[in-house]
This record gives sequence, C-alpha cells and structure tokens, in this order.
Amino acid sequence: MTQDELWAQLSAAAPKAQKIDAGVKGYLTVKLAGEDLVKAVTWLKQHGFDYLDMITAVDYSSPVEVKGFVFDPNPNHFLPEGATPQIEAPTKTPGFTYRDAMEVVYCLSSLKDRLKVFIKVEVPRAAASVQSLVALFKAADWQEREVFDLLGVRFEGHPNLSKILTPEFIQGHPLRKDYVHVPDKFD
Amino acid sequence: MTDTLHAPPPEDIKTDEMFINLGPQHPSTHGVLRVGLTISGEMITKAVPDVGYLHRGTEKLAEVRGYHHCVVLTDRWDYVAAMPNNLVFCLATEKLFNYQVPERAQYIRTIMCEMNRIASHLLFFGTYGIDIGAFTPFLYAFRERELVLDLFEQICGARLTYNYIRIGGVMVDVDDKWVAKCREFLEYFKPRLKEYETLLSYNPIFMDRTQTVGIISKEDAMTWGLSGPNLRGSGIDYDARKFEPYAAYDKVKFDVPLGKTGSCWDRYNCRVQEMYQSVSIVEQCFEQMKPGDFMAKGVAKVPKAPIGEAYAHVEGARGNLGIYLVSDGGQSPFRMHVRAPSFINLAILQESLVGKKVADVIAILGSIDIVLGEVDR
Amino acid sequence: MGIILEKLPGVTSALPGGELLLTTADTVIDWGRKSSVWPLTFGLACCAIEMMGAYASRFDFDRMGVIPRPSPRQADVMIVAGTVVKKMADPIIQIYHQMPEPRFVISMGSCANCGGPYWDSYSVVKGVDKIIPVDVYIAGCPPRPEALQYAVVKLQEKMMKMKLKNGFGAAPQQEKGSRDITA
Repeated sequence: MTQDELWAQLSAAAPKAQKIDAGVKGYLTVKLAGEDLVKAVTWLKQHGFDYLDMITAVDYSSPVEVKGFVFDPNPNHFLPEGATPQIEAPTKTPGFTYRDAMEVVYCLSSLKDRLKVFIKVEVPRAAASVQSLVALFKAADWQEREVFDLLGVRFEGHPNLSKILTPEFIQGHPLRKDYVHVPDKFD
Repeated sequence: MTDTLHAPPPEDIKTDEMFINLGPQHPSTHGVLRVGLTISGEMITKAVPDVGYLHRGTEKLAEVRGYHHCVVLTDRWDYVAAMPNNLVFCLATEKLFNYQVPERAQYIRTIMCEMNRIASHLLFFGTYGIDIGAFTPFLYAFRERELVLDLFEQICGARLTYNYIRIGGVMVDVDDKWVAKCREFLEYFKPRLKEYETLLSYNPIFMDRTQTVGIISKEDAMTWGLSGPNLRGSGIDYDARKFEPYAAYDKVKFDVPLGKTGSCWDRYNCRVQEMYQSVSIVEQCFEQMKPGDFMAKGVAKVPKAPIGEAYAHVEGARGNLGIYLVSDGGQSPFRMHVRAPSFINLAILQESLVGKKVADVIAILGSIDIVLGEVDR
Repeated sequence: MGIILEKLPGVTSALPGGELLLTTADTVIDWGRKSSVWPLTFGLACCAIEMMGAYASRFDFDRMGVIPRPSPRQADVMIVAGTVVKKMADPIIQIYHQMPEPRFVISMGSCANCGGPYWDSYSVVKGVDKIIPVDVYIAGCPPRPEALQYAVVKLQEKMMKMKLKNGFGAAPQQEKGSRDITA
C-alpha cells in the first residue's frame, strides 16, 4: 500500500476526512472531526495500522508566554541590575495562523506496509476534549494522561485521567501557551 | 509434641494485602521511579508505576531556545545513549529546513549511534546482572564501556552528553588516528562479547531467573506500543533503521535480532545480539566511508525555520525515538514533542507485574531497560 | 559510641590536660570517619551514570573506602547526582533526615548546584542547597568520575578538621545553611 492508495481507501471509509497537504513533511496527514476519530482509527487498526506511535497536542493560541518560565531577573551578578534580558519573548510571525484552538495529533504505523499516518483533531481551547483510544490501544493510556497533564485536553472514556508528570502543586497545564507559573515553595 | 510446622493456621489469624513502596530512592529502579505494589503474600495483585520524579520540562524549554540550543537539551533525555537523541532532533530539523547532509557526515552519525548503542547495552548488561544478583558482569561491562567513552571523549570532549551531532552534520570530522583507535577497540571487543555470553547469558541461575519470567506476548507488545529490544524480544520485527532508513543505514547490511517467547531473557539476548550487529555496522561504515565534507553548507547560525511540521524517528538504544516539531517561522520551535520509548515501554509494567512474585519485579523492571531522563523528560 | 561522643567532651575538659586527650581522640575518630565514607546509592539523572562509573572498574572508588550503601540509615554522605525536580524534593528532604548524623552532602553537577541547563524550568529546584545543606559542590555537566573522587578527597579534608568539642559539626552547624521549607 502506498500513501495515495491509503488516502483513497481512508477517504472512502471516513468521508468527512480532509487531507492536509501542508501537514507533517513526508507523511500522510489527515484532519478528522472529533466524532469520527474512533471510527477512523478502528478502520485503520483493521487495515494494518495496529501500532500507535504517539499522541500529542499543540496549542495554537499564540507564541509562548514568558511568565511560564521561572527566572532570576539578573543571573549575572557581575553586571548592573537589570542589564541582561534573559529570554526574549517570542513574537508572532506573519503567515502563521494563530487561533484559539488546539490540535490533538495521533501517529499510527503499519509495520507490514512500512507506513505512518498522522491524524489531527482540532478542538477548542476552552473545552478541549476528544474520545479516548484506550479501548483500541493500551499505549494510549499513559500518553493521553501526559497530554492531559501538560496540555489539559480531556479524553472522554479514559479510565484514569489524572496527573502523571507534574507534581500536585503545579497549577495549570504547563505546555499551554498562556501558562503562567505560580511560584511555589521551591522557587 | 505437636507438629507446629505443618499445622493449619489458627482461626483468628488475619491475612491482609500489603502495600509496598518501591522507590523513588531504590538502587534497582535505575533512577527515580516509584512503583506502588500491592501484594498478597508473595503475589503482586496491583502495580501502579508513578513517574515524574525527573520531569524537567524540556518540551517547554525548547519553545524559547534556538534550534542549536535545543540539541543541548536532547542530550539529557536518554543520557546513556545521547547520540541518537542528538540525531533525531537534527533529522527533524533538517527535514524542516531542507538541509542536505553530506555523505561523510551520514557515515559518522551511523558510527557514533552504533558505538553509543554498544555503550548503552553494556550498561544494561552490567546493571541487569546486578539486578539478578550477579555483581561481576558489572565490572566487566564497565571496563569495556570506559573504552567506548574514551573514544567519544577524544572526538568531542564529553563522556556522556556529547552535543556532537549538529544540525546539518557533525561537530568535527573524525581523523585517521581515531578510526585506527576505534578499529582497535572493535577487535578487542569482539572476543569480549563471547566472554559475556559465557559469563552471564548461559549461566544456569541467570537463565532460570529470566527465561520463564515476564513473558510479553506479541499482542500485548503491539497494543502497549513497545519498541526497541522489548518489542523485538517478543518476535515483532520493527526497527526504525529498516522501517525508514536514516543516516547511512540503507548502505550497510545488518540483521535485526528477534526473540521467540518475549521473556526477560529474550529481551536481554536481543540486546547482546545487537551489540554484535553494531560492531559489524561500524566496521562496514569504516570500509565505505570516503573523505569529504562533514557539515552541510549554508547552515544559519541563528536559524529561522520555515513554517511547517516535521517528524523524524530513529532507533535509539531503548526503542523508537521520535520527534514531532512544529515551527511557526520563529527562531525556536513552536512545539516540540518527544516520542520517548522508555515512557511508553514503562506503561506495560502496570499489567505485566500483576500475578508475578515479588522476587521477579526487579527482573522484569530491569529487562525493560528504562532511563528515567527519557521517561519524564 | 554515641555516649562517648556526647559525654566525653564534658568529662574530659574538666580534667587537667583533658583538651589534649580530646585532640588525640579527635584524630582517631576523624581518621576512622574519613576512611569509610559510605555514600547512599542515590542516582537522580545523568550524573548517576558517572557516579556508577566511579564505583566501577577503572576508577574503583572502593580503594578510598567509599562503598555504596542502599539504605540511608547506613550512609554517611549523600551524593545528589542529578537534577532535583520539585516532585523529588520532598523525598530528598525525607531521605536526608533519615541519614544518621553527622551527615554530609555532595552536590554533583550543574543541575544540583544551580539548576544547570534547566535554570528557567517550571519544575526544577534551582539547586539542591535550597532544600538541604551542601558540603561540597562539583561543577560539570556531568562531572567526570575523577571530579567526584576529588570531591570525596575534599570532604575527607573537612572531616579531619572536625572536633569533638564542637559536636563534630553535626546538627546545629549543618542545619544553619538550610532553608526550612516544610514550615
């Protein structure tokens, strides 16, 4: 199976799917509506894509907020007060569409055909939630928890959606672009 | 005199499940992993791995670092095998920027990754011996590992965190002296590998403790998304070096060792066999390598990536290591996600430990071969 | 031993020439202490691999009397080898307090010294000295095994200067540098 054949079959199985040409370079990237996700992944699993590579999410709201980092205002004690700006706040670049949305990205592999396919589901930032894939792939268990912990996407139907990497006292979801770090007892 | 030893337990004896906290400070968890074990007698009824004790927020930090600076962060995920980490980030970035890496650099990258695989598997070999109860292999493995680290030190000045593979190529070219020293090491190392097999692999005690323990079926391995020797130990042929050849892996011949049953011993043996393959790959690279450039032309000092997304994956020492990069056209990645093999491999622990004896916990945990820096990132 | 250490200074200093007795005892006890520095096997991150390298064949820490102990109850020195993250900080404080006095801490590597490459991270403690007092700092990312051995030599020099009448530099002095963050 080649990428084009796969797309022809997949688009027949999930008619609402869109192919993104400016997706992940060199791989077939498909955009799905949230409700089609489980159906499409089930179809893929039955057609050889029985290996879940990764789940992640991207927050497209804006460039990253510098207040999400912890820093000493003047780390170089040999310089006068405030002489060294530490990290420059990234600015918006023209041409990139910042939007109030997040994309959950899935990557599935077919070991037989040596193919990878990327699936994207766009969700609003305020109520980010998609269907969980734990019933299909157990590999989704921890990866969904990680995405929930760091980006705050809720996975409906996940048996144990809780924090996994960050400690209890870290508030918010650190990989969201507007994350502001609240100083805790160790800062 | 009554037989107290074989008498039935008294009526009022209380049996209860017990909670045991393994880690975060435990010599056999290879770092700061915590596993909450519920045991009933000798049997484990529930295992809850708790990670995050080394969560350093690398993915967030990458969003304000330049692309060249990010290579430094990559060293510290899988600190036992840092070269594949460097490589995967550089591959993803090169895809984004469309850089053409010179052929010599491709070969050098392959050599470095394979040498690092040897160093990493030697560490596994030594520490897994300790986990099972054999201390001597540790000393043997570290003797050879130091020689590999000497080679790395000679070429890039660092023993663990190399930052050697750069965007567009490698830091410096290898010279003839280094090649000669490396060949000398390979000649020295080949008989040592045989020694290891007599020392540990076919040791009856070691075999008894690992060959029927921690069996992971093919189906389980697939659905849990295992990769690397853990997946291949269960008999599934998935190797990123064959799946989508990168660097110079399409120009060299090598086999992918596979296990049969998916037991701890199979996973262990896959790693030992991989060391033979790594030696062979490095030798082939030396044969085929020609003089030339080691760095692509036109790599910017402060690169601004074009808008787009890229994914690259390599076969690291622990499994399929992937990087997903999103660029918004700025000086630093808009989003970087690491497909960390250790993190995904570790998740199976909650299922594979249940129903096993307490004594087998460390045997199973050690055979999965995790590095906590990569689990938590 | 504890009775000797606690009671001896009070008893002997009252005697004529008691100070001399104390100095002799100091030398013997300090020599015994420095010759068996037992660290806790406590690896956090990358530096732990170099720490293992220091214990292994080439560098052979055993010859300096450094034998790793798996339990904090049996350890004299804690080598904080790697990044201290906030989730791990509370267990580190707990382990530190489980160690018997006098206890020593070696901060190994940039991360444990000041946060290292993670100086602006939201989840890293910027230096282990924010939570427990540190005796020796080692620079490097990661430091070489030789550097760790040099740190132990330095620690041994410090141990040889310990005095019975100062309470062996135990609790009061050590706690001085620490920030009581549990309060």
